[in-house]
Amino acid sequence: MLVIRRRPGEVLLVGDNVEIEVLDSSPSYVKLGIRAPKSVMVMRKEIQITREQNLEASHAVAASSSVKQLLDSLKTAKP
Amino acid sequence: MASLASSSFKDSGSGDCLDRLDLDFPQGLPGFETSRRFVLQLQTALAPIATLQSTEQSSSEVCFLVVPVALLVKDYSLLVTREDLRTLGLEEDRQPQAPAPGTLSNVLCLAILTVPKDGPITANLLAPVVVNLATRVAVQAVRADTAYSHRHPIATLHATGEASC
Repeated sequence: MLVIRRRPGEVLLVGDNVEIEVLDSSPSYVKLGIRAPKSVMVMRKEIQITREQNLEASHAVAASSSVKQLLDSLKTAKP
Repeated sequence: MASLASSSFKDSGSGDCLDRLDLDFPQGLPGFETSRRFVLQLQTALAPIATLQSTEQSSSEVCFLVVPVALLVKDYSLLVTREDLRTLGLEEDRQPQAPAPGTLSNVLCLAILTVPKDGPITANLLAPVVVNLATRVAVQAVRADTAYSHRHPIATLHATGEASC
């Protein structure tokens, strides 16, 4: 991983047309400004992770055997 | 009566459909940004697992399995961004509490399950679905931290205390 030390107001270039500016920083966060063409997708990584997880989860088959097992586990756990 | 408003979704009713709620996701969900309207249904055969199905014509095949977070982990601590709190119409300066098992609350906190073809069922605790029960507005509240996994393995659901309602 490339590690660069930057201060607020300083800018990084990524490729030919992406600029990342450090706007502000505190001990607990960094505020970044990103200039990129519309064709470049910019999103928080956790949104991307959730997006992929949602796509995988979105065609739920409630009748599957693993769901049945899970429900059985609940019944046996009941006092 | 079993109710969606009870955080444990205890199955104690009769009939096929124990409860249903029409929900509005103003922002959609990541990957399904244009799907706003969903119906959350709790059916006898699946309780305490509920289904969250899109009612939009363009995405009516989209259906998630969800379960109250309280049945998966004890004392789940919500971390909802200000934007999401604003969408939900909740106070922006106070984190809502995930309801404890068997209690009533003004919010629902649900985890989306992933059921792979092979391998264990997992729950997305990185991004729980949070519902404001007063308005039926919902968001998938993606956490900015890494306190919980998007693939939390679940072998069993915890049996919980008596459901109120």
